[in-house]
Amino acid sequence: MNMEVLAGLSRPIIMGVLLGGLYALIALGLSMVFGVMKLINVAHGDLMIFSAYFAYALMTAWGIDPILSLTMGIPLWFGLGFAIQKYVMSRAFGISMEAPLIIAFGISLILQSLAQIIWSPYSRGLTAPYALGGISLGITTVPRTYLLSFIAALVVMLVLREFLRRSYLGKAIVAASQDKRGAELVGINTGRVYAFAFAIAMATTAIAGVFFGLTFPFTPTSGVGFLVIAFGVIIIGGLGSMLGTFIGGIVLGLTQTLSGHFLGAAWQMLFVYLIVFVVLAVRPQGIFGR
Amino acid sequence: MGVERNMKVSINQWRLIVPVVLVVVLAIFPIIGIPLAWLLYLFLFFVYMAMANMWNLLAGYTGLTFLGPAALVGLAGYTLVIVTWNDLPFYLGIIGGGVVAAVFAALMAIPTFRMRGIYFAIGTLVVPEVLRNVFYVWKPIPGDFIGGGAGYMIKGIEGLSLTEFYWLALTIGIVSIIVMRVILRSKLGLGLAAIRDSDRAAASSGVDVFRSKLYAFVIAAFVMGAAGAICFVYQGYIAPVGAFNIRWLMTCLLATVIGGIGTEEGPIVGTIIVVFLHFLLARYGELSLLIQGVILVVIMLLMPGGIVGLIRRKTRDYRSLLQLATRR
Repeated sequence: MNMEVLAGLSRPIIMGVLLGGLYALIALGLSMVFGVMKLINVAHGDLMIFSAYFAYALMTAWGIDPILSLTMGIPLWFGLGFAIQKYVMSRAFGISMEAPLIIAFGISLILQSLAQIIWSPYSRGLTAPYALGGISLGITTVPRTYLLSFIAALVVMLVLREFLRRSYLGKAIVAASQDKRGAELVGINTGRVYAFAFAIAMATTAIAGVFFGLTFPFTPTSGVGFLVIAFGVIIIGGLGSMLGTFIGGIVLGLTQTLSGHFLGAAWQMLFVYLIVFVVLAVRPQGIFGR
Repeated sequence: MGVERNMKVSINQWRLIVPVVLVVVLAIFPIIGIPLAWLLYLFLFFVYMAMANMWNLLAGYTGLTFLGPAALVGLAGYTLVIVTWNDLPFYLGIIGGGVVAAVFAALMAIPTFRMRGIYFAIGTLVVPEVLRNVFYVWKPIPGDFIGGGAGYMIKGIEGLSLTEFYWLALTIGIVSIIVMRVILRSKLGLGLAAIRDSDRAAASSGVDVFRSKLYAFVIAAFVMGAAGAICFVYQGYIAPVGAFNIRWLMTCLLATVIGGIGTEEGPIVGTIIVVFLHFLLARYGELSLLIQGVILVVIMLLMPGGIVGLIRRKTRDYRSLLQLATRR
């Protein structure tokens, strides 16, 4: 009896961990913008969904593979992020406390309605021949897309970590996030660094969007839910720690698959949102936060 | 002296007479038979204005960037369903909707007031998401082809016409204006402004921060809930997607930001423009939302004080010019 329960549990647990990787990947861009500029980009989820739509457009128009389409998506999102920070957000910071929040909300509305105008409100999905079907992981089979997203999350996080540790720009970003004035004193142009940080965050968001699109169907309004999840990931994981972000993602991934396993699919998102809310209420600075 | 006092009295009288006349004129609009389309515009104007006024009370005067009006509106709508399906009159549903929203706000305050700034904003953004999922699963009125994603019809409103809905909306609109005026001129209002500027400084000058915020939140929730319920009485139907929709927040936000956040007249001016846009852009469907988003960003960047803020600045410039000119 006990063994059967455990065997039944192995699938949701493995799925949950893999899903957690995807959630961590989605949260990465939000975490970076939050950590460096102290801004919660409420348009984050929509920017992520829009990347999935961009890949969808390339896929349906010219049959370009979604992952291959990132060669266009990443530079495009990088530029978009740079422009948003340089021309919009940098001005918003000077206005008032809530101005960046309201402006990001406006951007979120613009993206949602653009997606709805261009691609209709119906559910869409990305497909690739290698992402179909399942793959055996010894004890259980999982969808290939889950494994792909998990690997992508690991790769992106490692690359980002090394970038922040070793490159000049990476170190400048870390410096500006720790102490803006100090960074300026040693000759770092924080305005430029902020724009690059937003741009890099958007590049990771483009990647997250494509792997999200391969894993789940999406609609123009899917973004809000994933903004909440991404925020939950960085609240649980704390800022400035890749490992924390990863753990945060896995906690939410497991919450979703396990509550789906025990209570049925209708309850799974409810529990994810509830966990985010409870953590927010109990420890707003994050469980692993400083 | 005597002349001056007489003048003052007459100004005070005017301040009372003008609003009363305005309300009477607005109230008899349906009786004198103005076009139905106009009644509909005004109906939406009053309902949205009530919500925007209350959102302004929270975001503009209390420093609570509340991103979850949809939670209150949706809960009030479902209260209306429960009340009318139990064969009780719909107006009890509207009041009940306000009460449930207020009670829920009081409960919500316990965890969310621990969060500050952006955490409060996101914390309250989560609440409608949770509730939408709850109402997909939980059926307050059990039955086969109702509830869940399918939603409910509102019962007991068969004999009503737009005239009655209009009067309800007018009432909640006036209530919201009076609530704003009374709160802002009371000790509570002063405390709230102090909290918005610095809650520590407010606390050390003897303002009970939690209680003041709670009062504002509960009052705002009641009005928002009642306004939401009136909206659902008019729609005659409620489902989780529409009830806990982010568009409720968007309406509040847009009206307040366009008009001028943290000004008493702001949401009123802003709502006129929002309703105008709503109908002007109605036939463009999704393009309407896009344009509203662009307006939100542009207004926030170019005139953060909104229309009222801009006018105030201009009149101040003009006045000081006038003073310079007349004083010599």
